[in-house]
Amino acid sequence: MSGRLRTVLLLCALPAAFFVAFFLAPMAVVLIASLTTPDGHLTFAHYLRILADSYHWDVLWVTFRLGALTTLVSVLIGYPLAWYLVRVVRWRPWRRFCVILLIVPLFTSNIVRSFGWMVLLGRNGLVNDSLIGLGLIERPMRFLGTELGILIGLVYILLPFIVLAVGNALAKVDPALEHAAADLGATPAGTFWTITFPLSLPGLMSGAVMVFMLAVSAYVTPALLSGGRITVFSMLIFQQYSSVFDFNYGGALSITMLVLTLVLVTLAGRLSEPRRA
Amino acid sequence: MVTHLVRIVSLAALAYLALPLVVLVGASLTTTSFLAFPPQGLTLAWYGKMLGDPSYVSAFMTSTLLAVAATIVAVVLAVPAAIAIARYRFPGRRLLSEILMSPLILPHVVLGAALLQYGSAIGLVRSFTALLVGHVVIIMPFVLRAVLPQLSDEQRSLEEASADLGAKPLTTFFLVTLPQIRSGLVSGAIFAFIASFINVELSIFNTTAELTTIPVKLFNYVQYTIDPTIAAVSGLTIIVAAIVIVLLDLTIGLDVLSERR
Repeated sequence: MSGRLRTVLLLCALPAAFFVAFFLAPMAVVLIASLTTPDGHLTFAHYLRILADSYHWDVLWVTFRLGALTTLVSVLIGYPLAWYLVRVVRWRPWRRFCVILLIVPLFTSNIVRSFGWMVLLGRNGLVNDSLIGLGLIERPMRFLGTELGILIGLVYILLPFIVLAVGNALAKVDPALEHAAADLGATPAGTFWTITFPLSLPGLMSGAVMVFMLAVSAYVTPALLSGGRITVFSMLIFQQYSSVFDFNYGGALSITMLVLTLVLVTLAGRLSEPRRA
Repeated sequence: MVTHLVRIVSLAALAYLALPLVVLVGASLTTTSFLAFPPQGLTLAWYGKMLGDPSYVSAFMTSTLLAVAATIVAVVLAVPAAIAIARYRFPGRRLLSEILMSPLILPHVVLGAALLQYGSAIGLVRSFTALLVGHVVIIMPFVLRAVLPQLSDEQRSLEEASADLGAKPLTTFFLVTLPQIRSGLVSGAIFAFIASFINVELSIFNTTAELTTIPVKLFNYVQYTIDPTIAAVSGLTIIVAAIVIVLLDLTIGLDVLSERR
């Protein structure tokens, strides 16, 4: 027994020490900073400042509204796309190509992907040109610096997560169950809503939670597509650390964001399947 | 009817996924001095300009070195931890695995800020090492997540057989365990490498004008100027990503969405 414990220690000592030194300790420093004044006295003033300032509530509202909309749109587009890839496409090379198309964006930086949308959504960008060409609008629409622009960028970046999560769940659905439902007289729609959809729900939930969390904590995409006109929560944190240099207040903002994220993860863990990858 | 709707939404979504990447690669080939899509004329001049600019080349070198180093450190740390978590029952096992996996759900801006603040206290800021430790923290979960499922219980008996036959623990590791987890290790390491290579949120706190990674350089650049050089840099990263993915598909297979019938 002690021999086994020694082996465990031998195996875990380095990784555990590394995480204590460069993960837990930095997070502890932020937590302590958020609860102290610059000269080291305990205070809740930074948190009270966040709670009392209506500007922060506005920013939080924008951040979470964008997160919710991003999740909703990603699900509405992602579910049909996952269905298409798993159930509709029969020709393997095409599916392979589609999966590669889905994964390439995941392998390119947020910067590059958001930059692509900066080019597309500009005043003379392809999107405005096409809309004008189709006669849908007369003058160029403003996308950059609007929530719509940020939404387009965030959905773009996060859509693959939903598709992969739902696609995996759909691929595991046992077709015998659907055949049984059909044999017993269920309509295709009835089969879908009573058999297939509930079985794909855990994948949908875990994908949606992932998208929501990444959307509310996103920094690069909103920063590039907002053109300085819209502020989301992660930008407030970044400002405190990069230009204001108020580490105590920045710490309180960080911890606020972290707690909100953790609450969401916990809630989501309750809602989705017990065993998650 | 419904299938038609699904088909239309899906094809539109696939076009949406391809569009920004196609536009950037296209715009990087334009002969105009501003970004134009469709490109006007075809030239590789912007790629030449990028490669002739030492600051881009050095940022590419930094990014590559950083991602290679971070991946190696992450693998060296994650594999023993994965073996301990999968093979042994010990107090704190669950806690350890949850802590090691938690960077996956932690907002990177928060971790970046934390590392900057902590680093200023211990004198580890704006250096390659400062970047490295942060990257190791965020990419280790990718290695762990890929390796853990491959350390299954059936394979444990092989390791015990090897030990019974007198092999030393390290011999057993290299001859029995490592071959079992090789495919997970490869895919985990590739995802870890990519996660490091494309990171902005963490790196941005610890980069300087001289020591910068390619995504951070791009980020700082596109906020002020947009020209075809940027499209060329972006285009290069897209092409590299596409090549890596096709290679991945050919080696370990990416057809993750096939129905298992």
